[in-house]
Amino acid sequence: MITRRSAAALLAGTALSVAVGFPGLARAADKTIIIGINLPITGSDAAGAKRMLNGALLGISQANDANEVPGYTLKPMILNDATATAGQYDPAQAATNARKMVSTENVLAAIGPEMSGSAKAMTPILSEGDLTIITPSATNPDLTNPQFAAQYIPGGKTVFFRTVTTDAFQGPNMANFYAETLKVKSVYILDDSGAYGVGLADAFQKQCVAKGIKVLGRDRLDPTASDYTSVLTKIKSLSAESLYYGGVAGAGVKVVKESYGIIPNIPKGAGDGMYSPDVTTGAGFPAAEGWYVTNASPHVTDDPKVTNWVNAYTSKFNDSPDDYAITSYDGVLVILAALKKVTAAGETPTRENIRAAIAGSTVPTLQGPVSFDKFGDITQRVVSVFKITHDPKFPLDDANHQFAYVGVAPQS
Amino acid sequence: MTPLDLFLQQLINGLSLGSMYALLALGFTIVYGIMELINFSHFNVFMIGSFVAMGVLHAFGIDGQGVFMYGLPLIGTLLVTLVVTMLACGALGIGIERLTLRPLRGVQGPMAMITTIGISYVLSNAVMLTMGANTKNFPNPIPPWTIHIGTAQITVFQLIIWAMSVILMGGLYVFVQRSKLGKAMRATAQDPDAALMMGVEVNRVISTAFFLGSALAGAAGFIFGLYYNFTNFGIGFSAGLRAFTAAVLGGIGNIPGAMLGGILIGLIEAMAGQYVGAKWADVIIFSLLVLVLICRPAGLLGRLAPTKS
Repeated sequence: MITRRSAAALLAGTALSVAVGFPGLARAADKTIIIGINLPITGSDAAGAKRMLNGALLGISQANDANEVPGYTLKPMILNDATATAGQYDPAQAATNARKMVSTENVLAAIGPEMSGSAKAMTPILSEGDLTIITPSATNPDLTNPQFAAQYIPGGKTVFFRTVTTDAFQGPNMANFYAETLKVKSVYILDDSGAYGVGLADAFQKQCVAKGIKVLGRDRLDPTASDYTSVLTKIKSLSAESLYYGGVAGAGVKVVKESYGIIPNIPKGAGDGMYSPDVTTGAGFPAAEGWYVTNASPHVTDDPKVTNWVNAYTSKFNDSPDDYAITSYDGVLVILAALKKVTAAGETPTRENIRAAIAGSTVPTLQGPVSFDKFGDITQRVVSVFKITHDPKFPLDDANHQFAYVGVAPQS
Repeated sequence: MTPLDLFLQQLINGLSLGSMYALLALGFTIVYGIMELINFSHFNVFMIGSFVAMGVLHAFGIDGQGVFMYGLPLIGTLLVTLVVTMLACGALGIGIERLTLRPLRGVQGPMAMITTIGISYVLSNAVMLTMGANTKNFPNPIPPWTIHIGTAQITVFQLIIWAMSVILMGGLYVFVQRSKLGKAMRATAQDPDAALMMGVEVNRVISTAFFLGSALAGAAGFIFGLYYNFTNFGIGFSAGLRAFTAAVLGGIGNIPGAMLGGILIGLIEAMAGQYVGAKWADVIIFSLLVLVLICRPAGLLGRLAPTKS
C-alpha cells in the first residue's frame, strides 16, 4: 500500500540516491513496519502510561538510529484507550483500538495495554487478527489462563505476552511478605471492583489463608463513590492488624487519604496499581507515608547496568523512568529480536512469523533474559516490594524517589 | 470499640456525609419547586465548587497537608473561601440558566432536562481537560483536633461542617419563608401565571433559585474538600445522584424534605458500610428510593407546593 507519506518518502529516497549515487544507502526507501501502542495516555492513569509510552518510543527510535533491522524502518502507532467519560482507561475504547490495529496492514506487533480490563477487551480481537501484543503491566492471571483460552484467545495461538509477572504471584508473594516480614496476624481486604483489583485481592486473600493470616473481612469499593469512612471505621473496630487494597489509584487515593485519619498506625499495602505518582501527589504526605506497594517485575532502575539507559531516557523525555518504562522498553526489544530473527532467515516479516519467533525466544533485556511459557507469561516471577517514604528533596511525582525499594517479596 | 461506640462513630460519619448531601439536595429542590425541572448540571456545579475552594485556599498559600491555621485567621480564611466559592458557583448557576435554559423556557417535554445533562458533561470534561484527571490534594487548614466520646471521636472539622450546614440550611429556610423575594419564589412555585399577574418578576425569581441552589452546591463542594482532603473531576456524579435521591426521598420541591432526605441517606450509607458491607450501600439506598416512591409517591414529607395545572 502506498500512502501519501510513504510515497513522499519513496520519492525523496529515490531523489537522494540518484543524487548521491549510492542506492543501497538510502534508508528513506526502507519498508515501514508499524508497532501499535495502546496505553491510557490521558485520564487518571496518564502518569504511569506516559512512562510506558516513552519506554516503547525510546526502544523504537534507538532501533531506527542503529538500523537494527536493515531494510525496515519502525514506526509507532499510538492509540489512547482512556476516554473522557470514563476519566481513565476504557475497555470499550481499547477494543476499538484493537480493531484499528488489526485492520492496519503494516501493524505487525504491538505494545500495551497498561490495564488488565483493557487487555480482556483487546485479546479476543487481536487473536482473531493474529496480532501479537506485549503488555508492560497488565497482570491479571485470567488473560493467560488456559481455562479461559476460548474467551481471550479464540484464535487458539498465543498472541498475548507479558514482560511482567502476574497477580497469581503478585498477590500471594505480597501475602508472604505480610506473614514473614511484617509478621501480621490479621488483615482486612478491600478491592475496587475492577478486573485487576478483584483478581489481585482474591489471589492475596487465598495465600493469606494458606499462611495463617486471619482474614477479618473483605469488601468491595465503588470507585466512583467518595466516602469510604464507614468501612474504614469498621476495620478499626475489628482491630485489624493490617489492610490490603487490590485496585488502581482511582479509588486507592481516597483509601489512602481516609485510612490515614481512621487507621493511621497499621501496615497497609497494595499492588502495582498503586505504584503511581498519583498516590504521592493526590493523597500526599503524611497520608501516603508507609504504604507498601509491589511491582510485578524486578527493580532495575537503580541497577548500575542500566544507568546509561536511564540517562538516555531522562535526556530524551526530561522525566525519570520507572520499572514499567523498562518492561515496556523490554517489550520492544522482544519484538525487535523477533524481527531480526525473521529477516535474518530471509523471510518477509509478517504477523504470523513474528508471533512464532517471539514465542520461542529468549531475549536479553534490561531486566535480564526474557522468555515466555506457552501461555505467554514471562518465566521469571520476581515481585518487588516498595515502601512509600517521603523524600522532600525530590518532587512528589518522582516515583523513583518517593517509593523506596524494600526488596523482593518472598516467593511461595 | 464497644458496639455502642461503634454505632455512635458511624452516626457521626453518617451525619457529616448527610449534611453534605442535604446541602446539595436543596439545590435540586429549589429549582424543581419553581420550574419543575430536574437540573442535572447541579452535580458538576458542586464539583466545580470544590475546585474553586481549592483555588482560593491555594491563593491563601495553603497548598498541602499539615499547614494549619488557628484562631481568627482560620475563621477568616474559611469564611472568605466559603463566600467566594458560593458567589462563584451562584454566578455559574445564573449563567447556566441564562445561556442554556432560558431559551428553552416554555418548550414542552424533557428538552430542558436533557440540556442540563449535556451541561453536566461539558462542565466535567472542561475541568478534566484543564485541570487533569488526577485526584487533587485538597488542603485543609483546620487542625486535627478531636473530641473523644468513649472510643468514638468527632473531629473539629466535622463540627464545623455541621455548623456550616445548619446555618446555611436555616438561612435558606428563613429567606424563603420571610423575605419578599422568598415569598415571590413560593408564589411562583404555586402558580407561575398568577404570580406573573400579581407583578412577580418570574425571570428574577428563577435566577434567584439558580443562584441559591448553585451557591449551596458550591458550599457543599468546599465542605467535601475539607472533609475528604481530595477532589477530582468525577466527584459530582455519585454525590449528586445520592443528593438527588435525597431530594426525591424527602419530597422534591420541599426544603425540609431535602434536608431530611440528605441526612437519612448519609446515615444509611454509613450504617450499611458497617453492618452490611459497603458494596451493598447503593443497593439499599436506591431500593429504599423505589420503595418510598411506590408507597409515598410525593416523598416522605410530600410536596409543599400544590400540583400545577
